[in-house]
Amino acid sequence: MRKTLLGLLGTAALLFGLTTPALAFEPVNVVHTEKVKAGPYDLTIGFSTWPVKAMQSLDFTFVPENGLEGKKGTLTLFRGDVESDGGPLARHPRKRDVWGLDVFALPEPGAWTMRFDIDGPAGAGTGELKNLQVMEQPGPPMGLSWAISTFPLFGLIALIVVAWRRTRATVA
Amino acid sequence: MTVHITATEASPARTVPRGLVPASVVVGGTLISLIGLTWDIQWHSDVGPDTFFTLPHLFLYAGSAISGLASLAVVLLTTANSKRGKAIDPVVGGRAVGVFGRTFAAPVGYLVSGIGAALFLVYGLWDQWWHGLYGFDAVIDSPPHIGLLLSISITMVGAVMVFAVARDQRWGTYGIAAAAGTLLAFSMVTVLGLRAVPGGAVNTVNAGSAFFSVMILFMGAYVLNRRGGALAVGVVVAVLQAVFWWFSPWATEVYADATGLPLRDYADGIPGLPNMIPMSLLLVAVAVELLRGLPAWIPGAVGGVIITACAPLQRMLVQGSDFPALERYVATVVAGAVLGALAGMLGRRYGHMLRHLAPAKDDSHA
Repeated sequence: MRKTLLGLLGTAALLFGLTTPALAFEPVNVVHTEKVKAGPYDLTIGFSTWPVKAMQSLDFTFVPENGLEGKKGTLTLFRGDVESDGGPLARHPRKRDVWGLDVFALPEPGAWTMRFDIDGPAGAGTGELKNLQVMEQPGPPMGLSWAISTFPLFGLIALIVVAWRRTRATVA
Repeated sequence: MTVHITATEASPARTVPRGLVPASVVVGGTLISLIGLTWDIQWHSDVGPDTFFTLPHLFLYAGSAISGLASLAVVLLTTANSKRGKAIDPVVGGRAVGVFGRTFAAPVGYLVSGIGAALFLVYGLWDQWWHGLYGFDAVIDSPPHIGLLLSISITMVGAVMVFAVARDQRWGTYGIAAAAGTLLAFSMVTVLGLRAVPGGAVNTVNAGSAFFSVMILFMGAYVLNRRGGALAVGVVVAVLQAVFWWFSPWATEVYADATGLPLRDYADGIPGLPNMIPMSLLLVAVAVELLRGLPAWIPGAVGGVIITACAPLQRMLVQGSDFPALERYVATVVAGAVLGALAGMLGRRYGHMLRHLAPAKDDSHA
């Protein structure tokens, strides 16, 4: 019993020991920037990969000149003219001195628009990053990816069919 | 301390019922997977930063590993006993079937739970490749994530099977309710994969939730085949929902504090996974109990209607969402009725099929 407990404690210690140093999160590396003027505010938009591809996640940063102090705002995403997503501008979880979206993907290729509505000490302002070109998704077609991923479901259905046939005579 | 988990002859000095220990380890593993999933979903919504080795991820990996190793142990010990010519007791996971010819003798329940755990490993590699290509996004319904969730679901189906074999014993009865409840709660995340299915005016996720909830509830009710069977599964799900409602945000905050990470701006703290479980499920379970004398498709359709009709109300109550467009709401409720009727019939049949796994003595509780 003591040996079992020691073994369990050892395993737990090993797990936690391995977990703690592994929690070193990736830094936010901006490789491309764009500028947007939202009324009185100059905004720099950073991308951690460039060009942007559909479904491929990246870090976006939104940095107003002179920092976030006293400012708040919203981001609205449009694909073409259709509103797709949006919400309040929040600090990036891994770079807390700027606003951002962490490991976020735009789902479809095409021309996207990011609209920023910012309110701050200099008043309210709106600006747009237009014609953000999102390329086709990388990797295999989604149909193939779904076929591979739903194999366990079809295996389960096959099992049910076999069990169904074998019990057909006895289940009224 | 020695615990016998092999499928061999009964020993007169036994204190732990034969088959209870490995069955408990398998269902315990699936519960750990469920805990890992609810924690992970909450972590992504309330905190964010992610690595391969976060604690919620470790719970997910450990859950499948525990269930898989327990299943493997039973299969290997059953194989060894079979080769030695010892009698195999089918109360441990059901009748043994040959795998790879007659290389292995695997009790069918543990074979299914073990295959689920093995598939989890394979889909883990597929997921790793996917993240290498698409980045470490936190999209729960990506194809590899759905593959992983389906793999865990197969282990959970195996867990239901190993308890179904022992349905004539008290531990088997409780185990069926626990394993079916765990499967039902878990499936409410897997159905998010239905977002990829074009449903026209129908909310495919709500309709899918109704289908799987009703089907698993009926399956549990008919394998138990006694008054209160559906209610027992419904109560297990409600308890899981209540406990996770508290646990998910709490554990997320504690873990964030421990790792020195702040909560996201605007994190609402709404429990993600528990809120995917229909709160109306207990009502459905009561309806199933009350309408037990009718053909299964009738209470099934009623269950489907209750779940799809109440889903938007739950979101309004918890998240303050708007009521959906009337056309979409009606279309989804109609789909819920049709799918619920089908799920009722299928669940009843699955319940009867599971009863056939047990050694044929027969229906002492019927």
